[in-house]
Amino acid sequence: MDRITIRIRIVQIVSVAALLAAWEAIARAGWVDPLFVPAPSAVTGAMLRVGALAMAGLGDTLAKTAVAYVISVVLGVGGGLVLGSIRSVRQAVNPFVIALYGMPKILVLPWIVLLLGFGTLPAVVYGAIHGVFPILVLVSGAVRDVDHTWLTVARAFGARRRQLYWKVVLPAIVPTVLTGMRLGIVFCLLGVLIVEMFAGVRGMGHVLGSFANGFQAPELFAATALVSMASIVIVLSLDALNDRLSHWRGEAR
Amino acid sequence: MGGDVGAPHVVLDGVDKRYATSSGPVDALACVSLTVDAGEFCTLIGPSGCGKSTLLGMLGGLVTPDAGRVLVDGRPVNGPDPRRAATVFQEAGLFPWRTTLENIEFGLELQGVARERRRAAATELLGPLGLRDFAGKYPRELSGGMRQRVAIGRALAIDTPIVLMDEPFGALDEQTRLLMGEWLLDIWRRTRKTVVFVTHSLQEALALSTRVIIMTARPGRIKSVVELPLPYPRAMESAELVALRAKLWSEIREESLRAMGDV
Amino acid sequence: MSVALIRAGIVVVALGAWEVFGRLANPLLYVPPSAALPALGRLLTLESYPDLGEHLLLTLREIAVAYGLAIAAGVGGGAVLGLNRLLGRAYGPILAALYAVPAVVWYPSLMLFFGLDAASKIAFGFLLGFFPIALAVLAGIRQVNVQLVTVARAFGASDLVVFRKVMLPAMLFTLAGGLRTGLALSVIGVIVGEVLGSKAGMGSLINHAYGLFRTADYVALVVVTLVLILASDAVAGVVEQRARRWTE
Repeated sequence: MDRITIRIRIVQIVSVAALLAAWEAIARAGWVDPLFVPAPSAVTGAMLRVGALAMAGLGDTLAKTAVAYVISVVLGVGGGLVLGSIRSVRQAVNPFVIALYGMPKILVLPWIVLLLGFGTLPAVVYGAIHGVFPILVLVSGAVRDVDHTWLTVARAFGARRRQLYWKVVLPAIVPTVLTGMRLGIVFCLLGVLIVEMFAGVRGMGHVLGSFANGFQAPELFAATALVSMASIVIVLSLDALNDRLSHWRGEAR
Repeated sequence: MGGDVGAPHVVLDGVDKRYATSSGPVDALACVSLTVDAGEFCTLIGPSGCGKSTLLGMLGGLVTPDAGRVLVDGRPVNGPDPRRAATVFQEAGLFPWRTTLENIEFGLELQGVARERRRAAATELLGPLGLRDFAGKYPRELSGGMRQRVAIGRALAIDTPIVLMDEPFGALDEQTRLLMGEWLLDIWRRTRKTVVFVTHSLQEALALSTRVIIMTARPGRIKSVVELPLPYPRAMESAELVALRAKLWSEIREESLRAMGDV
Repeated sequence: MSVALIRAGIVVVALGAWEVFGRLANPLLYVPPSAALPALGRLLTLESYPDLGEHLLLTLREIAVAYGLAIAAGVGGGAVLGLNRLLGRAYGPILAALYAVPAVVWYPSLMLFFGLDAASKIAFGFLLGFFPIALAVLAGIRQVNVQLVTVARAFGASDLVVFRKVMLPAMLFTLAGGLRTGLALSVIGVIVGEVLGSKAGMGSLINHAYGLFRTADYVALVVVTLVLILASDAVAGVVEQRARRWTE
């Protein structure tokens, strides 16, 4: 590690440590109501107490997110391929897609719960709705923007339509699909959590909501930290996967 | 294969091409007729916009004429046929997600050739292409000249009787161009394919071709055809070639001026 | 056939299909346009919700405060991180990592701390709007022409002056984009906060209608809220266009 990286790490570690220390000191001194701002030590204790419960909730949420994610990716990539390839469809439909993308999905949440009830189904559906749009928009843009030279070359070498898709379009859009998938997972998770908070009976959103309603601050902070770390790990993993699969692109990404 | 060397291989007969642009229809080619014999190295040269790339596109089946016929071996051209002609473009057009070997074997892959066979065919070409150490590299790791060599390798791999080249060295610096020209000549003389070569460069036309076809400014027609039955390698300073260069240049210059004034 | 005509056609067909389907399946649940429009009328004439105005104003106030705080913290924080290379490289990745967490996980904590009142909605809207603004300021500073800064410094300008008089104008365009996204996210944050639990505001009305199964009123409230959101984004869009013209 060179000097600059060392200095950066020092700043990061010192800041976090100082923050935690100050927080602990303030909490111990009684300057804040422990009901609202628990000491880090209390949070750690809570983590041990409700760790199992929180993990179960997290597992539940991640399972629903996974299902919603698969749906989003399939619909998003499939729809993006269609939209990007067929000019007439794209021109007619694109403004609606963009409008739906930009519309805050929270507005239809109560209606979805009315329609599908409480529990797993609305969470999966709402998560899928959240995740499908960024993927759809990104993939359709990428298909539309595939370098024409590559298509001409493939045709010149006798590629049939199916071969054009398999051997040129799909490999060409891989980087964008990966970016879309990285965005999609965060959006899916977000959607599932929102439903769990609004109308959930299980899952991390419900767990967080229960702790908040019960004024169990240390437990709430612990659970929040847990789900945050899980999310960061998932995104970083996808980033690493993205890097490995796009190695042929070099620095340009 | 295209019959005996010297027999007509490619025929264009009364070919027209018109494009619709935002400022009205533009005649790219007007009543072009020419013949290329088997085993020839035929160069198309002319000012910008004279339609030489369009012509090449027609030979490759990528562009359809509005009038007239395009025949190869006496049969009409209906679309790209990788058994008949291979094309090399100015932008190498390599697929960045494929290695050198994978790019070279692309045409063979499209034709369903088995993996081991096409890998062997591509590997065999690495030697003549001078790319033996770069088999597993990606295009972004190759220089411009190397990428063009891969593109030419890709065209050679499908072993077509005709090879069409659209300013393949246009994006390269002069030294690389000269060396690539020498190298191409060597490959051609060994394989004796029919080559149709589009270029801006008079030097290339004189150094490489058996026949030079000069085109007029837009709408493109054949202005003149010059045979070059000279031995290889060409002695560019010989009296004969100097005279030929002067002659070709005066004709090309005339059309270039016309093209410039035509803006 | 012109594209606009096709799009209009799609809208007409969609509305028509919704009307037919809604009537046949369950008009109460699916609210066909013929039921939604009168509900919209009742809403706008303050018949269904007489205190609509108060709630609307509250939501707008929450958005304004949340966004204002987001701008202050976003520009300030982004500037500090952008100007000081060490701090920027130390905290930039932390910021990016936090951005990867779905913001709604912070909301229960905010509700615990601030309660069900406007404060938690403001806090959430602030949190959502802060990130795109800070990141845009960071990106904007990075792409400022270094030469301009060097010249200014050579003339003895302090960091603050350099920021205000050289960097800010140069990065106006990137900044405008970030501000627009920040507004959109602040708006969403406030509304999500209201829907998930509040006593007042447009979101709470939506929740209320939903709870009482007053689906037609619910649709009307959604339409009004949607108009509010579109209007705010349209205003932001106009400001962004102006900024673009200044920087070109």
